[in-house]
Amino acid sequence: MAQFVQAVVLGVLIGGIYALMASGLTLIFGVLRIVNIAQGAFLILVATFTWWLWRTTGIDPILSAVITAPLMFGLGWVLYRFVVRRISGQAASMSVLLTFGIALVIEGFLNVVAGNKFRSATPAYFEQSFRVGDILLPKAQVYGFLAAVVVLGGLYLLLTRTWAGRAIRATSQNPSAAALVGIGATATAALAFALGSASAGVGGSILSVLYPFFPASHYDWISRLLGIVVLGGMGSLPGALVGALVLGLAETLTATYGSLQWSTLVFYLVIMAVLLVRPQGLFGARLREDVA
Amino acid sequence: MIEISVPRLLAASLTATLVLGVAACGSRPSEKKAAADTSKPMTIGISLPLTGDFSQPGTEARRGYEVWADQINKSGGLLGRQVNLKIVDDASNQDTVVSDYTKLITQDKVDLILGTFSSLLNYPASAVAEKNSMVYVEPAGGAPKMFDRGFKYLFFAQPATAPHQADVFVDWIKSLPADQQPKTAAYPTQDDPFAAPVIESMQKQLEALGVKTVYSATYPADTTNFQSIASQLAAKKPDLIAQGAVFEDGVGLVRSLKQLQYSPKIMFQTSAPSNAGQYSSGIGVENTEGIFYTVSWHQDAKTPRNAEFVADYKAKFQNADPAEDAADAYAAAEVLQAAVTAVGSTDQAKLRDWLHANQVTTILGPLSWTATGEPIGKFLLGQWQSGKAQVVAPADAATSQTVVNPKPDWK
Amino acid sequence: MRRSHVVALLCLVALLIYPVINPWQPYPQGVMLMMFLLAIQATSWNIISGYAGYISLGHSMFLGLGSYTAAIIALHTGVNPLWVAPLGGVTAVIVAVLAGAVVLRTRGHAFVIITIALLLSAQIVATNWDSLTNGSDGITLELPFWSADFQNIPFYYAFLLLLVLTVLFSAWIARTKFGTGLVAIREDEGKAAAIGVNTTVLKILAYAASSFFIGVAGGVYAYYQTFLNPVGSFAILGSVLIVLAALVGGRGTLYGPVIGAFIVSLVNEGATVYGGNSQTRVLIMGLILVLVVLFLPAGLLPSLSAAWRRRHPVEVSFTDQVGALSHNTAVVRSRLPVSSDRPGPLLEVRGVSKRFGGLVAVDGADLVVERGSITALIGPNGSGKTTLFNLITGAMPLDSGTITFNGKRIEKLPPWTRGHLGLGRTFQVTRLFKDMTVLQNVVAPQPDGKLRTMLADAVSGAEAARARDLLDVVGLGALAQQKAGSLSYGQQKLVELAQVLMLAPELVLLDEPAGGVNPSLLGRLTEVIRELNRDGVTFLVVEHNIPLVLSLCDPVNVFARGKCISSGPPARIREDPLVLDAYLGDDWRADAHA
Repeated sequence: MAQFVQAVVLGVLIGGIYALMASGLTLIFGVLRIVNIAQGAFLILVATFTWWLWRTTGIDPILSAVITAPLMFGLGWVLYRFVVRRISGQAASMSVLLTFGIALVIEGFLNVVAGNKFRSATPAYFEQSFRVGDILLPKAQVYGFLAAVVVLGGLYLLLTRTWAGRAIRATSQNPSAAALVGIGATATAALAFALGSASAGVGGSILSVLYPFFPASHYDWISRLLGIVVLGGMGSLPGALVGALVLGLAETLTATYGSLQWSTLVFYLVIMAVLLVRPQGLFGARLREDVA
Repeated sequence: MIEISVPRLLAASLTATLVLGVAACGSRPSEKKAAADTSKPMTIGISLPLTGDFSQPGTEARRGYEVWADQINKSGGLLGRQVNLKIVDDASNQDTVVSDYTKLITQDKVDLILGTFSSLLNYPASAVAEKNSMVYVEPAGGAPKMFDRGFKYLFFAQPATAPHQADVFVDWIKSLPADQQPKTAAYPTQDDPFAAPVIESMQKQLEALGVKTVYSATYPADTTNFQSIASQLAAKKPDLIAQGAVFEDGVGLVRSLKQLQYSPKIMFQTSAPSNAGQYSSGIGVENTEGIFYTVSWHQDAKTPRNAEFVADYKAKFQNADPAEDAADAYAAAEVLQAAVTAVGSTDQAKLRDWLHANQVTTILGPLSWTATGEPIGKFLLGQWQSGKAQVVAPADAATSQTVVNPKPDWK
Repeated sequence: MRRSHVVALLCLVALLIYPVINPWQPYPQGVMLMMFLLAIQATSWNIISGYAGYISLGHSMFLGLGSYTAAIIALHTGVNPLWVAPLGGVTAVIVAVLAGAVVLRTRGHAFVIITIALLLSAQIVATNWDSLTNGSDGITLELPFWSADFQNIPFYYAFLLLLVLTVLFSAWIARTKFGTGLVAIREDEGKAAAIGVNTTVLKILAYAASSFFIGVAGGVYAYYQTFLNPVGSFAILGSVLIVLAALVGGRGTLYGPVIGAFIVSLVNEGATVYGGNSQTRVLIMGLILVLVVLFLPAGLLPSLSAAWRRRHPVEVSFTDQVGALSHNTAVVRSRLPVSSDRPGPLLEVRGVSKRFGGLVAVDGADLVVERGSITALIGPNGSGKTTLFNLITGAMPLDSGTITFNGKRIEKLPPWTRGHLGLGRTFQVTRLFKDMTVLQNVVAPQPDGKLRTMLADAVSGAEAARARDLLDVVGLGALAQQKAGSLSYGQQKLVELAQVLMLAPELVLLDEPAGGVNPSLLGRLTEVIRELNRDGVTFLVVEHNIPLVLSLCDPVNVFARGKCISSGPPARIREDPLVLDAYLGDDWRADAHA
């Protein structure tokens, strides 16, 4: 029983962190209808930067999100204005190829400047735990989870309480109607891309403490994030939240009770099954392109 | 129906390749090469994964080869000829490694070749060497199937293949008094051609000794989350945890075990702890105390020429500590050097026969081979002690006379 | 056009004799055979991703499947892997059909993601199915049985042969109605379904066709490598190279993927030989991918031929109005089906509803189209007329109600089957395949679902002759070789009508046929409609040009708020106070001035 509770608790903590990482992907998709394959590479880029910051200045990796998030916001903005925007209006698959190319560029860049080796940030608390009865709560996971909750909460407020946020939501629900009521498509899209990137800024900082990483790790991460977003519904924030929790729990529970080897396959099967049976995911609205 | 237009590019690219190919019309590969021009330097061709997945061991291997070449050139060269290493990058790609070795052997006509890194690349590369009847001494690639193919020119320059790597650890357990031997053991291993056979063979041997297996699982190479495994281990409380760990998974499991505050009496990991600096910074130096691993080489080993190797390596590369991979590459070069010196030429068939018949002394210790190139020897048993990786067995290679047992709790 | 084949043939001859004149050079042969292998993969990929536009980022999976099939058979039976390589192709096709049947139901992003997931799943299966695949240890194969002197030459010819077969196969597909159907799917899948293209079957066939030669090549490749393992066989970078090759050369073209593959392989090999130990390979590959997508999305070959055309422009001729106006419609008449004598109305819509979220677009609508009539459907914008069209043709599923066509319930049938039954439509805003020529557009429809029709030659023979006749009917015969996108809007409307007529429909649904058509062409249009009607074709017309409706159609149905509020002969509708007050009064006047 304790083992089960332990697995559930760990699953929820991981799920919260996954949710933060996936939020950027789903936000970008919602507004731009672009699957940003580079989101995983963003995470690794930030993780590497955070690691470097931590090694050289000793700034706490999770707290350094305060620095990395604005930087990623800027990078996302620039990337959108000068690269991604050029292919707006082209077939969906071209945007996948483009962001895939961006992911490769980031991977290659990290290979060159940081070298192809495993890293992980190890602040003093990374191996300590809070103990609640028989249950152990690893501090790093707890801090990461809290940071994720704070950022997701902030994102929620931003999307519901500010004009820019409402513009993003409006555009993601109905782009042409949003344009009709005077919401600038480009500015909104750039804002969404930048916000999505910024969320990777926080996610990457948390990742640097929790998981060892190296430049090519982004493939693992993007496939995991895609699974979450597909499950929850592409473009839906609550969907990403639920999808992340489901997959976080599924991961710890299959690792505890099932076969480790096949658990990854189950993961891909979930992606495929959901895309086939309910392409809009658990929470997503049916896309217009699916109807026509 | 699809629009077709003039593929002038096709023509252009073809012309380019044809010119490339026609440039040198060679002779039949099986024809005897003309007697080597002894005034020219001796060229050794090597393809290494300097980029891509295996770039880390590949880069270390390059350094090992270079240290060896510098040394031999300082001492007058091989058979009186200066040695020139021709090292190309294969980007950790199987197709590229094949085309690299084909080019080195048939186009560049190198005198000798040396092996590359990782089994994945050594499988196809050794086949190219075998086809062209070139002696192929590989510094890595100990997957068991490597030697099932009946190759005659293949030699593995490490003391043992994967299934025999853990023998030295089992021997150590056997040497313990019965009440100190572990009663229960857990065997998590990564699904990796090197790590898994080590742990499988260890599990079999320890079960034969009466050690009860309480946990055994193979996890995929991309596993990043080790808390579930750790929490099961913590629940089953085995005396011994033996993990088939490549690198990051070794660090990941230790960190998770630590978070769950479970420390076994004996902890063994295959290769992760041998990555000295990265490993100790990954789990924290104070936590390394008492962790066992197996290794082919140690910096302080008293083997011949080892001290020179370490000194020259440090001098050449900004005082960095040599990695095991560099030493393995150096040893592979030593093997080739011994054969060439003894035979007195680069006649590949003679080199092959000599290596099958003789033992070679290297910085890894003495090496000798079966007919298929599989080495006959044992690994070293390493253990972290006071923040340093030491060799504790076998006795003649040991750098530390004490063994930390049981392992202290995590700090 | 033929010149390209001559150049290709010359290249082939050069490649064939190259090993003969320079036999003892395994290295350049090795480089070139890898070039051929990439070209085989890129050309095959082009069938599903270039022609049909479904980008697969996991196509190297088929190479791995082929490799594993040949290697596993060789391992367990001792047969040389080379002889069982074709079975690798069979495995690839089986997996493609099974996976395609489910996977190809998705579009756009979802398909790309699923192809990656498939590739990685294959890797996981190969890793964990130890008893069959030896797991992560991989499979080792024996060395080639021939003399080491010839080491790469047999492989060179094997891959070259496969490449030639692949290119011929791709060229043949492009010539058939199957090929035009694929391009139609790429350009506009909904429209393709509306003109009788069985998109589901075509996509699965294309996916299977794109896998076979890669699978066969995989078997040969396994023997060449003598070793295979899950990570190497199912690597995502292999797929990236395929996509890169096809993009660079020009996807959708015949020789583009081959040229792209040659370029990419040579650049790759050059980077190995001259690049030294730089860490920049992934970076360079990523940059090339980004730059190609941004600045050369069409690829080298199409861009070069476009530049060629700009420098050597072709005279563009305009609508042959005189020809159109004087053309005899007999030719149309002779192609029409004998209309059946079944009793009852041709089309009967009963209680049909369609909701979009909270909005009820069609609300329990009833509509009857009598055999042989020209029935009109009028109503203000947003009254649900086009939605009703979409429900009748099957472009959208309905929420409730029944649709009966020719005595047969059709509301659950896919759109192409409705097309095969004799239901054709045009669109409010024309949806021609803009990158195809006018002639290709007109041959694209598939009047039935038979394989024989699908594999029939599209650019020559009976189909093309019939298409030319129909183009002459609408007066656009002279524009047959122009890209449809370069035509004026009115011309496009006429092409779309000719396109529908290829289906030999019994009922044609016209969505605002007069919109944007100049008066003289409009006259021609109504004349053609009347002629066809006289010969037994029934029409259902949505139109805002009320005078046209009142003169052309009988009866007239008035639609408002998702249902039919009035119907009857034009004279009665014109007088109907209900219609006039509630609807026509405003709309007619506004429309007349617009």
